[in-house]
Amino acid sequence: MTTLSKPMKKLSPVAQSAVDFYLAQAKALSARNDQPELVAFRQSVAERFAQQAFPSRRDEDWKYTPITGFLQTHYAVEGLAKIDEAAIKKLLPPFDVMHLVFIDGYFSERYSDDLSELPRGLSIEPVKDALDFSQGHCALMTHEQKIQDEPFGCLNSMLFDDGVLITLDPHCQVERPILCSFLQTQDGHANTIRNRVVLAHGAQLTLIQQHVSAQPELNAFDNVVSEIELAEHANLQQIVLQDLATQGAYFGLQMIDQAEKSVFNSVYVGLGAALSRHQNVLMMAAEHIESNQSSACLASGKQVMDTRTHTEHQAWWGVSRQLHKLVLDDQAVGVFNGMIKVHKGAQKTDGQMDNKNLLLSKTAQIDSKPQLEIYADDVKCSHGSASGQISEEQIFYLRARGINQTDARRLVTQAFLLEPLEAVSSPKTQAWLANKLTQKLNG
Amino acid sequence: MLLDIQNLQAQVEDKQILKGINLQVNPGEVHAIMGPNGSGKSTLSSVLAGREDYEVTEGSVQFDGEDLLEIDAEQRAQKGIFLAFQYPVEIPGVSNKLFMQTALNAIREARGQAALDMFDFDQLAMEKMKALQMSPVMLERSVNVGFSGGEKKRNDIFQMAMLEPKLCILDETDSGLDIDALRIVADGVNNLRSPERSFIVVTHYQRLLDYIKPDFVHVLYNGQIIKSGGFELAQELEEKGYDHLIQAHEEA
Repeated sequence: MTTLSKPMKKLSPVAQSAVDFYLAQAKALSARNDQPELVAFRQSVAERFAQQAFPSRRDEDWKYTPITGFLQTHYAVEGLAKIDEAAIKKLLPPFDVMHLVFIDGYFSERYSDDLSELPRGLSIEPVKDALDFSQGHCALMTHEQKIQDEPFGCLNSMLFDDGVLITLDPHCQVERPILCSFLQTQDGHANTIRNRVVLAHGAQLTLIQQHVSAQPELNAFDNVVSEIELAEHANLQQIVLQDLATQGAYFGLQMIDQAEKSVFNSVYVGLGAALSRHQNVLMMAAEHIESNQSSACLASGKQVMDTRTHTEHQAWWGVSRQLHKLVLDDQAVGVFNGMIKVHKGAQKTDGQMDNKNLLLSKTAQIDSKPQLEIYADDVKCSHGSASGQISEEQIFYLRARGINQTDARRLVTQAFLLEPLEAVSSPKTQAWLANKLTQKLNG
Repeated sequence: MLLDIQNLQAQVEDKQILKGINLQVNPGEVHAIMGPNGSGKSTLSSVLAGREDYEVTEGSVQFDGEDLLEIDAEQRAQKGIFLAFQYPVEIPGVSNKLFMQTALNAIREARGQAALDMFDFDQLAMEKMKALQMSPVMLERSVNVGFSGGEKKRNDIFQMAMLEPKLCILDETDSGLDIDALRIVADGVNNLRSPERSFIVVTHYQRLLDYIKPDFVHVLYNGQIIKSGGFELAQELEEKGYDHLIQAHEEA
């Protein structure tokens, strides 16, 4: 994580123009917002954003994730959503879900399932309605400083106006997955989303978030920050599917806090956007915590796809697992950055982080940086990264059994790419995601 | 005639390995190719199966009346050539089931047969596995991943049984096998013997030939067949080794 302490950075004209644009967007947003505390909050973030601005390649964390292309487009927060029933139907997977629809960043009551008939203990509220600054601060926001340390987190804090707040009461287990569809419908639109998910003691939930575009060619921008809080024994199964049109941009930042004996299992599937970056910041603050963070990313053309995790083991007997796989074709660029930090008091930590990348073309590129920082002395940790091309031995073996060259390559690539999905506990959800990945692979 | 190899010459990276092979195989015959290390045994198997690392510089190979050298590895498999690998390859994430189903249906399609559905496939696979004393759980496992040497070879024989080829080429299938695994593999092969199906058994040792009795034995040396005979030639080699044959060949 970067803390930019320099008072004012020297910005390129393009970056400066983008900063000015988004500051103006924040002003416009405040002009239509009547909650004075929110306006004041936004103003304070704007001051920080004006200073911190956008990162450049000189910033270590952004060295391999160039945003210059992204800065060329100014994504506006204003705009009217245009959508029809059929487009919503297309969002649904072939299994039963509770569906929450967000159109261009705003909760759509009309297209979402009825929130008045939720399972016992479950509460779902649009963040727009839940924001309450009457106590002097907003109780919804618990990681504000860290979020604002991240350039796109800061932008999110300055521009967000909606999102979802999900809370689940102690010992409540919700069988049916919640699907949040964040749908882009307008070209040049910025969708800034702030979510918060809180599972109480022993609560269990499956949450699927999908970022999708209503048209195949749409240059829009999703900037989402999610705060996730898991109490003792809570269990969250999360899936984030980024399936935007390949013109747009996606920035996802998740701040996760786990309490004792809780389970966090999160799988990220990256398919779309010209530029995307998905980032978990996971704090395993108590004993006997389990976590899995995995990703399956498929990039082609000139896509830049970045997936990264920061995991801190802070107490005894924590188990963390990670498998991140990127398949890169054409001139695509993949970035993986993972850090496991084991605190002094986190004995018996068992942390594994694996990054594997398959390059399908000579011009594809991968930058991988797995890192371990260990301050405890009785731990079992490993990290690794391997990148390569398809093994010709494997292809010949398949061909020698009558499978043609194209199918052989597809079979091997598919097998490679789908492995992280094994962490998805529901076979139906797994098959749905596998289908999305193979469709793009075969397309 | 099923296979007709005439004056086959092949090289890899400018190094001449096969220097004029002549071999004719009729339907139902079992031919053993023996020879010391480096004689070109594996190259011959690879060239016949269509491995692209080898360049054929001279000669011809007719298979079932067709020019084999004109077609790709997958087409050769579809026409009925099967190579049992010296080192079967591991393919993580691809189950044996998906692999065999894809392969079998590709071959059936090429032969103008309808694809097998899952039910028929499972039934066929179970049958063949039982004959090879293989556990059904193997079908769900990734191709050869975590398999012992014996299991890998057995898996190759299972594939052979599934795909019902006309010509099976066993490339040092016996290497790395203990006596029990060897017997299972040999039994599997013997069960597949038929008047229509031919075998080329490439091996360094006679051991495998005690179980798979060949009709003909050829000795390959320095890229050429220097002697051919019946099963008694294999026995002679077992007793006297290759040296006296090589010596006689070089003196001639």
